[in-house]
Amino acid sequence: MVDQRDDIIELTDAEAELYDRQIRLWGLESQKRLRSANILLAGLNGFIAEVAKNIILAGVKSVTFLDHRDLRIEDTCSQFLAPKTQLGKNRAEASLQKAQNLNPMVVVSADTEKIDDKPDSFFKNFDVVCVSECTITQIQRINAACRKYNVKFFVGDVWGSFGYTFADLGTHEFVEDVVQSKKMQVSEGGEPGGKGKFENIVTTVKRTIKFTPFDNILNAQKLPKESETYYLLRIMLNYREKYGTDPLPSERDNENLKNEVTAIIEKYNLCDSINNLVTGDLYAQISPVCAIVGGVMGQEIIKTVSQKEAPHNNLFLFNPDTMCGKILNLGKK
Amino acid sequence: MAASISGVFSESLQNAILQCKVLIVGAGGIGCEILKNLVMTGFNDIEIIDLDTIDVSNLNRQFLFHKQHVGKSKAAVAKETALTFNPDVKIVHYHDSITSSDYGLSFFKKFTLVMNALDNRAARNHVNRMCLAADVPLIESGTAGYEGQVELIKKGLSQCYECTPKAAQKTFPGCTIRNTPSEPIHCIVWAKHLFNQLFGEDDPDQDVSPDTADPEAAGKQRVLFQKWDFNVFGVFNEILFFLPDTAAEGALQNESNDKGNVDRVSTRGWAENCDYDAEKLFTKLFHDDIKYLLSMDNLWKKRRPPTPLDWSYLPDGVAGCSKDTMESGLKDQQQWSIAKCGSVFKEAVANLSKALKTCQETSPGDHLVWDKDDQNAMDFVAACANIRAHIFGIPQKTRFDIKSMAGNIIPAIATTNAIIAGVVVLHAFRILEHNLKACRSVYLRLKMNHRNQLLVPEKFVNPPNPKCYVCAPTPQAVLAADTTKMTIKELDETVLKARLNMIAPDVMIDGKGIVVISSEEGETEGNNEKTLEQVGIRDGTVLKVDDFHQNYSLTVTVLQREQPSVKDESPDFLIVADDEDLKPKEDITISEKPSTSNGKVEKVEDDDDIDIVETEISPSTSEADVPKKRKTESPTNNTINKKRKVETNNQHDDDVCIIEDDREVEKVALSVLPAIEEKILTPRKYKSLPDDDCSIVYDGNEDQSTASSPKRSKQLAK
Ligand SMILES: [Zn+2]
Repeated sequence: MVDQRDDIIELTDAEAELYDRQIRLWGLESQKRLRSANILLAGLNGFIAEVAKNIILAGVKSVTFLDHRDLRIEDTCSQFLAPKTQLGKNRAEASLQKAQNLNPMVVVSADTEKIDDKPDSFFKNFDVVCVSECTITQIQRINAACRKYNVKFFVGDVWGSFGYTFADLGTHEFVEDVVQSKKMQVSEGGEPGGKGKFENIVTTVKRTIKFTPFDNILNAQKLPKESETYYLLRIMLNYREKYGTDPLPSERDNENLKNEVTAIIEKYNLCDSINNLVTGDLYAQISPVCAIVGGVMGQEIIKTVSQKEAPHNNLFLFNPDTMCGKILNLGKK
Repeated sequence: MAASISGVFSESLQNAILQCKVLIVGAGGIGCEILKNLVMTGFNDIEIIDLDTIDVSNLNRQFLFHKQHVGKSKAAVAKETALTFNPDVKIVHYHDSITSSDYGLSFFKKFTLVMNALDNRAARNHVNRMCLAADVPLIESGTAGYEGQVELIKKGLSQCYECTPKAAQKTFPGCTIRNTPSEPIHCIVWAKHLFNQLFGEDDPDQDVSPDTADPEAAGKQRVLFQKWDFNVFGVFNEILFFLPDTAAEGALQNESNDKGNVDRVSTRGWAENCDYDAEKLFTKLFHDDIKYLLSMDNLWKKRRPPTPLDWSYLPDGVAGCSKDTMESGLKDQQQWSIAKCGSVFKEAVANLSKALKTCQETSPGDHLVWDKDDQNAMDFVAACANIRAHIFGIPQKTRFDIKSMAGNIIPAIATTNAIIAGVVVLHAFRILEHNLKACRSVYLRLKMNHRNQLLVPEKFVNPPNPKCYVCAPTPQAVLAADTTKMTIKELDETVLKARLNMIAPDVMIDGKGIVVISSEEGETEGNNEKTLEQVGIRDGTVLKVDDFHQNYSLTVTVLQREQPSVKDESPDFLIVADDEDLKPKEDITISEKPSTSNGKVEKVEDDDDIDIVETEISPSTSEADVPKKRKTESPTNNTINKKRKVETNNQHDDDVCIIEDDREVEKVALSVLPAIEEKILTPRKYKSLPDDDCSIVYDGNEDQSTASSPKRSKQLAK
């Protein structure tokens, strides 16, 4: 994915100083890979603002904001990149300045076209495509386009205090450290009377994971226990698919949403197991939840680009009721 | 702002958000994220405190700060940037230490809740006590690399920060540092001490010259301990703690010196006399002193003897370094030859001595403070550590790695901080809804556990430890020390302030009404050099200790415990909450710990518990997409599980220097110590240790922000 030759160029002193702490965590190779990565972020809501912050700080090469929507009052709940004074202006453009301030070394740009108007080939300009606020149909189409061009695909959303992320990385190769504890004899120079001591040997191993497209997780049958948030995800996606938008804070308890809830409860025979979730806060996007889900998404993009550490395969669900964040591996054929 | 739009929250939460007043302690990585979340959520009344200033290396995650802010107050700039999100919010900032007496009980009582975003244990302990005293809910949080945790601290409901003792301090015997280093860390500790001897605060316990009192060489006095404060992640704070030393008269060996009656010249004085001449310094430190060590031939019977270096003939090859590794990587990741170390040493000494002179011109008696981010200070330590390592045949490290070890760097990243800060604010919502029981501790892991959880909540809020020496209704502790040796000053400085984190303790002998230590100046200084016994403190004496600033009273029962013998590496004193812990236990600690993940132990609560200490730093996995059960080391005896160590790996340029190493404990396995150490090292041993749910995090995070750090007031002149 990443051109090997980009990796050879050494970091400048300024980069080494700025990224010092994270290089100590994920290593120089990862940092070099990050800075050659081009990322598309579509749908500049509060959740994507968090993702943007995280990957711009991390030091990717470029971030393109794609959004045809304007800044709404609901965005002010969490979209910290777009100042309130920009209400009614295009969200991608309104977010540009603050995003750029986060890290002058990253190229940040805005594109105000509709995602539906972009041809499939548009997505091959990027190493990673990450979208939000898309309908199921849009997700399926973009996911397929990314598969076609071997582009890493991510989608995620936050509804109120609930959120998820999904990844289809195709066939993903990465390295991972494996630590083994070994008993060592103290050699010369050590304390006399040499007692054994433990030393952990770190070896780096290469691994490969195969992912599945978003399609395959839509009608999951077998779920691990305590996965009620999956049904909530289906409800919110179904609502959006049908109405082209999400329920507003002023529409708490509206009938249309209730109908979607009932449909899913009946379809999966859920009785009252998701009642506390569906009566919770599902409107606009709550800032701390954007931080959590956007933090997970940001780290997944970093892992993917740097090809270091195993990415989550494939669905992350945050349950605001229990504060539990779960990884489900759905859609395995 | 969410709370100004009806329908986003329930009405009661919306109102509570609009009306409450909150405090953020620390404006570092987590603090910046919390502040952003609060402002966007619509909190109206926020105060934030941090004494630190902004450094370039903060900018990759402390996103409220930009390049033009470097050098400015974190609290002030955090406020300034947060106001651009919402100009209408009221934010008060303090560029100050939270432990200052300006922030007393009435200050804490103003707040509906307090959120800690700190990086050091001393400040966490302090805020813990203040919030308990003020009965204000505290949300404590911390991150290290990819992992993090959040917990509620509420008087009477939950564990406090000090209910479970944190990992014991790491100690290095003084003679290992001064005479017989065997690991890179020994050389690095020595180099930092040398910095202080030459340019910093003079601390006689940081002597760097040969220790003539080395029991192994001379067979007389006991060992001087030089302590690193390690936390569960093997992290040490930058401030060193020292246990009292009875001997260690490491006289400076200058030319005219042969053992015995030497006029003791301080290293500083000597360096000043030769005008910080690099060659003279080098020759004394790396040639003459080494020659002297060689003369202590007992030391070298079973060790490789050190090789003195000659300033004029420094080797310029780099051992074990192929051309490839020489050329790739960061400048800081290149291995220096000894000749290169010599020239770096020379330049650093010149610059540092100049800086010292400059700062003494303005305020005489002033000194430099070591700072890992100061080029010269860091160069000096890297060069000296490597030269010393070379002399002793110890592998050399790169400046990059030495900085991690000397500077106590736990790498922090934006994403982990963001996630943890998000959980902190969700906890704040629960508190505002008066639903404190929902604030169960939450742990963030690098990988999901066997229950597919990446963010792992505990099942319940952990109840307080009834024997906690801080939050129990009448806090009690036992001090086991040698009353014929420990002085009142040591009791004050080392036990009460350094170990028990008090700020200004008063100590009275119970029943007699005799005040032995007073926080008022000039009242009890006469006692300083007296031993405990001389003021009437003996085995069984009960002390009433009060710290008015922290509103904290502690009853301390003193037990006579003979000072450990020569070469015994157990500490000079022990503090425990329960004197049962002092009784020798052979297998008790083992039986209390399950040897398998599902071992049935009393009070086992499912497999959901989280083990605070036994964490594997980097998980080993087999199949990437199969949830791999992490193997928690099963303790087969009470020493094995403490002997772990992950070393920075040079080959793969990854990874954190994480050291978790308490080998010292093993050496005194037959004494009374293990049972106690066990307790200190493995809190919550009464619960099961599931092999998967472990996680942890806490202290010493170099930069979660430093809202308190007593020695940071003077920064090194840049
Ligand atoms: Zn407690």
